[in-house]
Amino acid sequence: MRVLLRVLAPLLGLALAAVGVLVVVEVVAAWIGSAGTTGSDGVIVPWPSWQQTLDGLLWATTPVRITAIVVAVVGLLLLLVALAARRHDVPLRPPAPDVTVTTSPQALARMVGRRVRAADAVSSAAVTASRRAISVRAQGWEPTDGGTGLAESVRGDVESLLDDLPLANRPRVSVAVRRQAGPR
Amino acid sequence: MTAATPDPAATPSTAARGSAVGLDTPPPQAGRHARRAVARSAGRDRWLVGLVGVVLLLAGTGAALLAFGVFGTGRAQRSVLDPMIVDALRAQPLLWRIVAIVGGLLLLVLGLLWAIRSLSPERRPDLALDAGADTTLTVTAAAVADAVAGQARALPGISRARARMVGDERDPALRLTVWLAEDADVGEVCRRIPEEVLAAATDAFGGRALPVAVRIEADTEEGPRVR
Repeated sequence: MRVLLRVLAPLLGLALAAVGVLVVVEVVAAWIGSAGTTGSDGVIVPWPSWQQTLDGLLWATTPVRITAIVVAVVGLLLLLVALAARRHDVPLRPPAPDVTVTTSPQALARMVGRRVRAADAVSSAAVTASRRAISVRAQGWEPTDGGTGLAESVRGDVESLLDDLPLANRPRVSVAVRRQAGPR
Repeated sequence: MTAATPDPAATPSTAARGSAVGLDTPPPQAGRHARRAVARSAGRDRWLVGLVGVVLLLAGTGAALLAFGVFGTGRAQRSVLDPMIVDALRAQPLLWRIVAIVGGLLLLVLGLLWAIRSLSPERRPDLALDAGADTTLTVTAAAVADAVAGQARALPGISRARARMVGDERDPALRLTVWLAEDADVGEVCRRIPEEVLAAATDAFGGRALPVAVRIEADTEEGPRVR
């Protein structure tokens, strides 16, 4: 969303500037035109013909309704882009007053994934992470000798990684495992 | 990976800062300057895009309600360019022309300023060091970045590092991005960056402590990286 915002912002700025130029040019031209010769046809945009069209168009017609809905939807989308374009940094405890340490949710998920997949009993794992929650979906083999279950051992791995990481807020950990059949 | 337990006795003597505050002691509020250096701010763009969105949303919703006859069917049956409004505008032509021209100029200036500021690249200020009464000593932004990034790259567990100056000349800060190697001990890297890299940087710049934002990424590289 931040990339989209970076693209949209200058485009919207230029669009506003273009509208401003058109308004100034047309108003000044019409002003000068009305003082001298009679009715011009617009310098850049043919606004007199737009005026005629709008004059004959009622509010309760389909094109007006569709245009209004499209404008509202575009506005809503812009608003959503602006709201969604916040940073999703995961803060770590700052080691000194003038230092901040952050990581990305992707990097955190990758670290967790590495740790989880390093276990022999895990064949594959998918991790999603944010500053508040880490969720692990792992696939692997339950121990045959009655030791700790797969879910508990995966959770233990994640918790031990979180012990190592100086995260500012410890995220909740949720683990879902799928038992894999067959030999290792 | 083993659990990293910070040992105050193992702190290198060069650690001018970072050593006083261990990672496991909750430090005072991290510096405002350092937090601002984490990433380029998108605050202005978010506000303005949101504002344009709200204006369009309100205008579109209002027009749709009017068109569907919510404000009365009589109103919906009038033409879009209502003669009543046109007559009101024509009664005061000079006033409305001036309003339109001023509004257009405002849109032009604000739109251009917004576009220019969101397109202009982030600044990389040089670092002015306090060298004495009649001497100025400037370290270029590239030199600071190279020095810090090189120092960070030398740490075990870090596969790549990139640093750059951010902010402005009066208020410079440093942004350091490090990529952890597959086999990195995350806790140890987090502890050694402030202790060794940032302390060395502070020493190199005549004891001037810059606000620093450290960004940790996990490298996806498989196998050796070709440079």
